[in-house]
Amino acid sequence: MNEQALIHDAQQGNLDAFNTLIIHYQDSVYNTALRILGDEDQAADASQEAFISAFKSITSFRGGSFKAWLMRTVTNACYDELRRQKRRPTTPLEPDSDDGEEMDSPRWLADPNMTPDQKAEADELEHAIQHCLNNLPLEFKTVVIMADIQGMDYTEVATSIRVPLGTIKSRLARARLRLRECLRGFAELLPASFRLEEGNTT
Amino acid sequence: MNQRDVELLSAYLDGELKPSDSARLEARLKTDRELVSVMDDLRAARNLLRRLPQRRAPRNFTLTRKMVGQNPPMPRAYSGFRFATALATLLFVFTFGVNFMASQLAAAPATGMGGGGDVSSFAQEAPAAAEVPATEAPATEAPAELAPMPTQQPPSEDSVRSAETPTGKNGGVGNANGQDQPQVPNEAQVPVSSVWQIALAGIAVFGALFMLLIRQSAFRRWRSKE
Repeated sequence: MNEQALIHDAQQGNLDAFNTLIIHYQDSVYNTALRILGDEDQAADASQEAFISAFKSITSFRGGSFKAWLMRTVTNACYDELRRQKRRPTTPLEPDSDDGEEMDSPRWLADPNMTPDQKAEADELEHAIQHCLNNLPLEFKTVVIMADIQGMDYTEVATSIRVPLGTIKSRLARARLRLRECLRGFAELLPASFRLEEGNTT
Repeated sequence: MNQRDVELLSAYLDGELKPSDSARLEARLKTDRELVSVMDDLRAARNLLRRLPQRRAPRNFTLTRKMVGQNPPMPRAYSGFRFATALATLLFVFTFGVNFMASQLAAAPATGMGGGGDVSSFAQEAPAAAEVPATEAPATEAPAELAPMPTQQPPSEDSVRSAETPTGKNGGVGNANGQDQPQVPNEAQVPVSSVWQIALAGIAVFGALFMLLIRQSAFRRWRSKE
């Protein structure tokens, strides 16, 4: 995929070129929205809104990391969604578990060969991490999702959320420490491999 | 151990430190057990997050032209029709305005001649209305003039009143003339004739119809290409 050529064509109004970019980035965008919002339907809506908004404003993209630019669009869409939720809070229809987490079964991107036990472990891990992410302040959560879950470098994260590099470093360090503290409370829920890792590192 | 050290450790794990800062930190890590412990915590949290599996997007988020409000390219004639229609509509509205203003301006001096514009003129309008038979008086008087009667007959009260009316009650008659007479020239002297107005309305309506047809045709061709 020649990303620069596709971006150039999309800037000329070529929707097919932009749709090719969407197919390439839609999993990253959706996962970012999912981790920020913690809800699949809202994440899907925010992702769709983000892509529509991105196409309409693609002429404002002046080069650099397209992924970072796209992530800025999706985080803005998520912030809008969170603001909307604050104004009109809703109650989820899905049954909750004892710790308040929704009991949904996630669809994994890769590894269809996972055994049921492995899937259960992955579910537990995901619920624990999502719970701890939800307890973070929004600005910390966004940084840690981009850097550690999406694997973006500091410069890309700084470009995405338009804050200085030093702020990214500070927020990421504090977010990681808070997450570690929170995840300690879920030690027995975490899969054995993670518990071993915890024992090795502390 | 302070917040600055935590930031350094976090950046060190991501390889975001300058080589000189890295070397300094590594030297401290060899001796400071608390620093090592915090770095292990940071690394554990980072590794957990990185091992979090990615979800597949529940559907394709590809966009349609309708979703982004994209319109098909229009032929050049479309912009021509658009300009003509807009201009004709504007002129059509303008002609109405001009004609209305002209009729108002024509009516204003007419009322000014009769009443003089002061309050007393309004007071005189009532007698004028009450003397409606005065306008009929000449009609009844006419046979008297035509008849071969002696000329020095004393005038009746009615005829005196009618004779006085034009001079003594100028307000009343003036108003009567002002109300009736200017109407005829107003309609005849409108600045823009109704022919022009009909022509402009026709251009506007037909232009809009052509635009609609061109637009529908362009959308049909565009959808068939998708």
